[in-house]
Amino acid sequence: MLVGLATTFAALLVTGISLIIYEARTYQRTLLDDLSTQAEILGQASSAALTFDDPKSARESLLLLKAKPGIAVAAIYNANGKLFASYARDDQSAQTLPSLPELDGSRIEGNQLSFFKRIIDNREILGTVYLRANYELWDRLRSYVGILAVVMAFSLVVALLMSVWLQATVTRPILAVTDAARQVMERRDFSLRVLKTTEDEVGYLVDAFNGMLAEVGRRAEDLEATNRRLQHEMTERERVQEDLRKLNVELEDRVQKRTAQLEEANKDLEGFSYTVSHDLRAPLRAIQSFSDLLVEDHAEQLDEEARRKLRIVQDEGQRMGTLIDELLAFSRLGRKEVRKVDVNMSDLARTSFERLHDQHQGPRVEFRLAFLPSSKGDRVLIGQVWTNLIANAVKFSSKRDKPVIEVSAVSDKEENVYFVRDNGAGFDPRYQAKLFGVFQRLHSASEFPGTGVGLALVQRIVVRHGGRVWADSQPNEGATFYFTLPKEQSNGTI
Amino acid sequence: MIAADRKNAGFRSCLRLVLIVCLILVSGIAAVLPAVAQGDGDSSAIESRVKAAFLYKFANYVEWPDGLFPQPSSPITIGVSGADSLKDELAGMVVGRLVNDRPIIVKNVRTGDSLSGINILFIARDESSLLPQLVQSAQSRSILTVTESERALAQGSVINFVMSDGHVHFEISLQSADKSKLKLSSRLLAVAQQVTGTP
Repeated sequence: MLVGLATTFAALLVTGISLIIYEARTYQRTLLDDLSTQAEILGQASSAALTFDDPKSARESLLLLKAKPGIAVAAIYNANGKLFASYARDDQSAQTLPSLPELDGSRIEGNQLSFFKRIIDNREILGTVYLRANYELWDRLRSYVGILAVVMAFSLVVALLMSVWLQATVTRPILAVTDAARQVMERRDFSLRVLKTTEDEVGYLVDAFNGMLAEVGRRAEDLEATNRRLQHEMTERERVQEDLRKLNVELEDRVQKRTAQLEEANKDLEGFSYTVSHDLRAPLRAIQSFSDLLVEDHAEQLDEEARRKLRIVQDEGQRMGTLIDELLAFSRLGRKEVRKVDVNMSDLARTSFERLHDQHQGPRVEFRLAFLPSSKGDRVLIGQVWTNLIANAVKFSSKRDKPVIEVSAVSDKEENVYFVRDNGAGFDPRYQAKLFGVFQRLHSASEFPGTGVGLALVQRIVVRHGGRVWADSQPNEGATFYFTLPKEQSNGTI
Repeated sequence: MIAADRKNAGFRSCLRLVLIVCLILVSGIAAVLPAVAQGDGDSSAIESRVKAAFLYKFANYVEWPDGLFPQPSSPITIGVSGADSLKDELAGMVVGRLVNDRPIIVKNVRTGDSLSGINILFIARDESSLLPQLVQSAQSRSILTVTESERALAQGSVINFVMSDGHVHFEISLQSADKSKLKLSSRLLAVAQQVTGTP
């Protein structure tokens, strides 16, 4: 408020001083102009009086100056510089007439201004007009300063009142807003509100501020709520994760236990089947030996029918022996260690086919062997895979006129895929799932002899080498059996 | 600034002195004004000189009808009837002087001379017998008639010199001026001792 008043005061002061200076200049100029005009008129009016030497007429002209109280003394001098006519407002002034006229111009002496002006008519100097006016500059300025002082005092009072009023209507609400803003910042309390006192721009400001506070408060609340919810969700998620982890551990534990149990059961089963197979061999061998002895020693005592039945006993005994051998091999595989070496697959496939073909009766089989990439594996076990697959192919194509067996392989980056294709009986793809089960047979023994262990054995060997086995076929259109062996990396273990 | 003012003031007062001296020396009227001429020669000579000066100065306060002068610089002719000394005095005074840009010519007017070409006619006291006739013929020619006889105004003169307290004064007849189609300046009227008739 004080600052405002000081500013107002300074402005008023500067204005006042400017006004005084202006007034002083204007006063002097106006006075001079006035005197000049007056002198001109007097000169004109008294030119004839001077010409015709009639001081009376000139005096009459001068007497008109009575109407001008500012002019104290006036005089007209003739061309010779002699006083021709004069006028004085009072007797005292009359004493101070200059004895001789001076050059055109003005002169200030104390509080009087003297003015001389030549009277010229027809290029001839007729005389001089002399005027002396009261020069009241200082009086005027004094009264002017007085008026200004009163005006300034009044202005300051008005300014003070205005300032007080403005403070009440403008500054105070704004200060309230500022105060509220500071409190909000310090206390973070968005429920604070500023009281609205006016209906003008300041009122709008207060409204806007309150609105903003409300909005900020709502936002802050929302944010906090969201935060709380997020926190809650996070703990919930952590809890669920913990549960999951526990469950996982539990599951792993259970799987481990189950696996152990399963392995135990498997081992028992293998032990059991080995024992069974092994123990079955002795009575079977006795049956075979005695039926052989019966044929050798008592063949002539037996009639044809008895010999045919005895032959059946011998054949079935033979078949049972094979079955027991295969079962033994199958169950032994579970315990046997796989010893991996480089295996020449082409050699292995060819020798397997040649050995089988020698024992085979029936049409000659065309064997097409492509180049097979070598692999790492247990030579004996892989040999058994080839033998079983090729034996199957020979067996199921034996009813063709021209049986063809094709052995080939394809490779990619990770594994070699070997396959054996025949043009034999084939099988219904619906039974593909049963193909590799133990004792699972798609054909009757009378049609194609077999034990139903061969493919199960193949699968077991290939899986133990880290590969896969599958087959595809249509009935009477031959079958293709595939197995893969992984390409060994340098570590060489499976 | 103050120094300059002071210097200026000094210069001014010096100039003032010079001017005053000039005024005294140069002024042409100085010699004719009675104030200066007092005690110098006899009074009739002074009177004649003052009247001569007044005569040509009247020209400055008279307005002739339009078209009377062929050109703006055509001379103003002052005719003097009688009073030879005044005529000589006047002839000497007007040399080189202009009134409203017009030079002034002084002429003697004898009995029977034509008044054509004359603008101001002075009829001396000793020629007053011819006055009515001259005034008559002057009126029709818009000639400013100036006389120095008693009752001259009544006879048709425009301006008539009178003497009072040893000073030359004049009286004016506006009626006569009007008849001659002359306009007289109010300033002239203001210094006239008497103005008769209303226009």
